[in-house]
Amino acid sequence: MSGAPETRVLLEHLFRHQAGRIVAHLVRLLGPAHLDLAEEMVQEAMLKALQSWPYKGLPENPEAWLFRVARNAALDAVRHRRMAGGKAEILTAELDRPVQLNETDPDFEEQLRDDELRLIFMCCHPEIGRDASIALSLKIAGGFSVREIARAFLADEAAIAQRLVRAKKQIRDKGLTLEIPSGRELAERLVAATDVVYFLFNEGYAAHEGEDLIRQDLCTEALRLGWLMARSSIANPRVHALVAMMALQAARLSARTDEAGDLILLEEQDRGRWDQHLIAMGFREFDLSMAGDEVTEFHVQAAIAATHARATGMHAIDWPLILELYGQLFKLNSSPVVALNRAVATAKVHGAAEGFAALEPLSQDVKMQSYYLYLAVRGHLLLELGENAAAARCFQAALERRCCEPERRFLKRKLRECGGTLDGAAAENG
Amino acid sequence: MPQYMLLLHEDPTGWAKLSPEEMQTAIEKYMAWAKKPINRGGKRLTEEPGKVIRHTPEGPRVTDGPYSETKEMMGGFYTIEAASYEEAVQLSMDHPHLEHGTIEVRQIFEM
Repeated sequence: MSGAPETRVLLEHLFRHQAGRIVAHLVRLLGPAHLDLAEEMVQEAMLKALQSWPYKGLPENPEAWLFRVARNAALDAVRHRRMAGGKAEILTAELDRPVQLNETDPDFEEQLRDDELRLIFMCCHPEIGRDASIALSLKIAGGFSVREIARAFLADEAAIAQRLVRAKKQIRDKGLTLEIPSGRELAERLVAATDVVYFLFNEGYAAHEGEDLIRQDLCTEALRLGWLMARSSIANPRVHALVAMMALQAARLSARTDEAGDLILLEEQDRGRWDQHLIAMGFREFDLSMAGDEVTEFHVQAAIAATHARATGMHAIDWPLILELYGQLFKLNSSPVVALNRAVATAKVHGAAEGFAALEPLSQDVKMQSYYLYLAVRGHLLLELGENAAAARCFQAALERRCCEPERRFLKRKLRECGGTLDGAAAENG
Repeated sequence: MPQYMLLLHEDPTGWAKLSPEEMQTAIEKYMAWAKKPINRGGKRLTEEPGKVIRHTPEGPRVTDGPYSETKEMMGGFYTIEAASYEEAVQLSMDHPHLEHGTIEVRQIFEM
């Protein structure tokens, strides 16, 4: 969908991000009950841009242009259409006030960031429920369309639309506000918000099927939302740890595939392609996450990502430390996926045989049997142990599980390394 | 050099279905096209369906139209320069509007 770099005239995702910012701004002014109206005004502003910029050219400050048009549309609505009462006068005065964007008015920028933060917090309110929070955050704060959300989650558009309608109704019915609580309630709300952002990031990072760019957009959006929280005054170590982990992992995103879109394993990645800006951000956030005694899963995951980022090359990776960290992570979250990762680290430190033994407890897990990565790791270790036929059976089985195209090509490559053809392995398997 | 008008027809309700990201992509494509040196400028028309005025024996008569019955309407126009009508058509084949509607190519009469 995106144009070639030389034809790009606007910032990447400018409209999507501006949509979130303007909605946040208008929701603060109009109130959460008028979420739909705020969205409508943003849509109107963007339509006007679509109708005018291709003929008249880009306005001097596109962000400010969109803001002004959306505010004028809201002013119109307050004056003539849907809203009346004592508040209307205050609102018209506020909307009528000329605003400056960007460097010209740091106060307004500050206010906007605060508006966005409050909006994210409301979208991630524990009363709404996580699935609805995820859809709502993407739609309202992230500027994603229903269709894009459905595509990102391989879900039905109608189901996502339904979820959004219900979530908005809950906001109205429960009278949720944009207020940010303090004390223990704040900590609870931060847990809810970081969980939503973490889920978004993971969904984007671990693409399941197909080769859809929208999934990478989820990572970008999760990082943006996390970053908004991290640089606000309410940020706690948990938030910083989450952002550190996301930044350090996202730094590797573009190095994960080669020019043909084929998967490149971490150890074989060209470290020159890792995003240095994100790595620096990750380490800064990691430092900030060290305040306090709490060690969350995010902290350990960030530490693992940091260990990889710190290594100067594939031979310099501190695998014993990574193994120790996975052990720590397993204590916090004894999931099979963590155990799988720990087994990989075990193999690196103590050899393929011990790594394979560490996989043993997982062989009874039904979910793992349908997880291509488990089978791929098993195959990889068997191959190292010289058990080519058994390895080939594993890769063949992995190919039959749900995975994305680049992963599929990777598995086929591994299968060829086993010395068997696709058909030969299938015959052995059958 | 002869000038040609590209009349851009579209179904305006189609725009409203685009996401912010898709709108941005569309704008970028249109603007990239509009930067071509053959372009002599263009204008957008408002979405009012418009009126048609006709002469009748009783005097001028105003009716709705011409787009009141159809979903498609003329949304805007560009003027371009080309050596011939065929070249004008050829030059318009890569216009991003074709993803959203149709383009009518007409030569501007000059004496």
